[in-house]
Amino acid sequence: MSHSLTVEAPRRSPLRTTLTALGAVAVVATYAFLIVSQPADVANGPTAASALVALTGFGIAMVLLFAGILPTLPTTTLALIPVALVLNIVLGQFVGSTLVPIYLDSIGTVLVGFLAGSAAGAATGLLSTLVWSFFNPTVLPFAAGAAAIGALAGLAARFGVVRRFYLVPIAGVVTGFVAAAISAPIAVIVFGGTATGATGAVIALFRAAGQNLVQSVTTGAFTSDLPDKLVTFSVAAALAYALPRRSTQRFEFVRRHRVLAGPKQAAAGRPDGEAAPAA
Amino acid sequence: MTRPEAGPAALASSGRTASGRLNPLTGLVLAGSGAVACLAWASWGTWAAVLAAALVVAAKARILRRVVAAASVVVVPFAVWALVIHGLFFPEGRTVLVVVGPARVTSEGLAYAGAIILRTASLVVVMLAFSLWVRVPTLRAALVRRGVPAQLGYVLASALGLAAAVGERLRRIREAQEARGLVVRKGPGGRILAARLQVVPLVLQLVDEAGERAAALEARGNALPGRRSSYVDEPDSQLQRVLRWTLACVCAVVVASVVVPAVAGVLAGAAR
Repeated sequence: MSHSLTVEAPRRSPLRTTLTALGAVAVVATYAFLIVSQPADVANGPTAASALVALTGFGIAMVLLFAGILPTLPTTTLALIPVALVLNIVLGQFVGSTLVPIYLDSIGTVLVGFLAGSAAGAATGLLSTLVWSFFNPTVLPFAAGAAAIGALAGLAARFGVVRRFYLVPIAGVVTGFVAAAISAPIAVIVFGGTATGATGAVIALFRAAGQNLVQSVTTGAFTSDLPDKLVTFSVAAALAYALPRRSTQRFEFVRRHRVLAGPKQAAAGRPDGEAAPAA
Repeated sequence: MTRPEAGPAALASSGRTASGRLNPLTGLVLAGSGAVACLAWASWGTWAAVLAAALVVAAKARILRRVVAAASVVVVPFAVWALVIHGLFFPEGRTVLVVVGPARVTSEGLAYAGAIILRTASLVVVMLAFSLWVRVPTLRAALVRRGVPAQLGYVLASALGLAAAVGERLRRIREAQEARGLVVRKGPGGRILAARLQVVPLVLQLVDEAGERAAALEARGNALPGRRSSYVDEPDSQLQRVLRWTLACVCAVVVASVVVPAVAGVLAGAAR
């Protein structure tokens, strides 16, 4: 899409790469703090330190990741992100109102990860959470998990998982494992281990069996997130294949890494933003 | 872990509310201060005070009814499940009030559930009061003027506008599919098929539009660096600027006073 009358958008630079890396470090450090500190006080009621550390750490990470990733996204990807956010919200709201223990609230994030790569997927996860928090502020603490889902979807696409459709559910389960591991301590610390719908029922079941709060919430998270991400990845991959080639080949990531199965594109490796000819 | 059921339609109409002469960033800092107070001082009194203050401010801004409606959609299911999980099954509880089958109601479980519900309700009402009060275009202009990447403003405004319109699109797609003979059969298979026949055209339409929008944005220099001009008026005053900076500094000190000792404690424990 670029032409001689416009200046190229800012690309990756050492500063932006450093900011992105620091954002990832902030997520990992915050998570490590939550894991090390959580067992002491969860059942004694909400405390100040853990929740504030979680939200401060993930908040700093969100700012760093935004500053590092957002200005480098090509316009094609940027225009797709609001669509992904709306898909997350619409499908998440629909499934969230049922008693099925899956959410399907990250299909848009995974789709962007497949089409535009890890950085765009992570940014979509963060932005999705930010926009969604305008309707429901309780999703905001889960921003790090949403970013990880988008980043892992991009990574899976980068290594040809979407090209080999039979690997997509496996990538979904691996992502679900990571998402559950990230979200469980946050759910315990910020919301006292309370979840709604089928996940809440699973937690109640394990609490009735005498398990402690952390174990019950972790079990509930894995029970929900593993099948959820399996379905989410499969649906997102099916949607990516259902899109017309002229839509998918707009993305440099798809062309360069031959994300989708099919004949090789002559345009593979073109500079970013330059659209391939419609199939 | 908790999933929303509140719709974006309520927010789409927030642009019509009178934001008065308050700068959107002043509102953001006030909401942030309320959230910090809820998290930093873990007591029923703080949570109740913040909740009451947020409701009073919402009433003054004439958005109380919408805030209560939107907050109820989030808080009521949360409260029900908190009472089910912690009120009925709290193995750590010692003071047993009632035993019904496997359920064991304890005063400690009820107190835990009550605290979690009140804290969550305070946070939700504070943040919803802000999001339903603020005019998104003004907030976007205020953020971009202060150096926030223009891309963030675009995504925020575009997503909120699209979210409000997508329900109508889904309805039109459903009507078109029904005209072509779609009948939603009972059972999960029928529902999945019906969902596929509605969601796939929606996604194709939205992605195709995004491609066209990208070309239009590119032609208008969206990807270029540099400052953006905005014609959106942003109410502000010296008093508000002072208030914003004061509250932001106080919040930073409060957060640091809680976070630094907590992190230091964990690091010291790990070193031992």
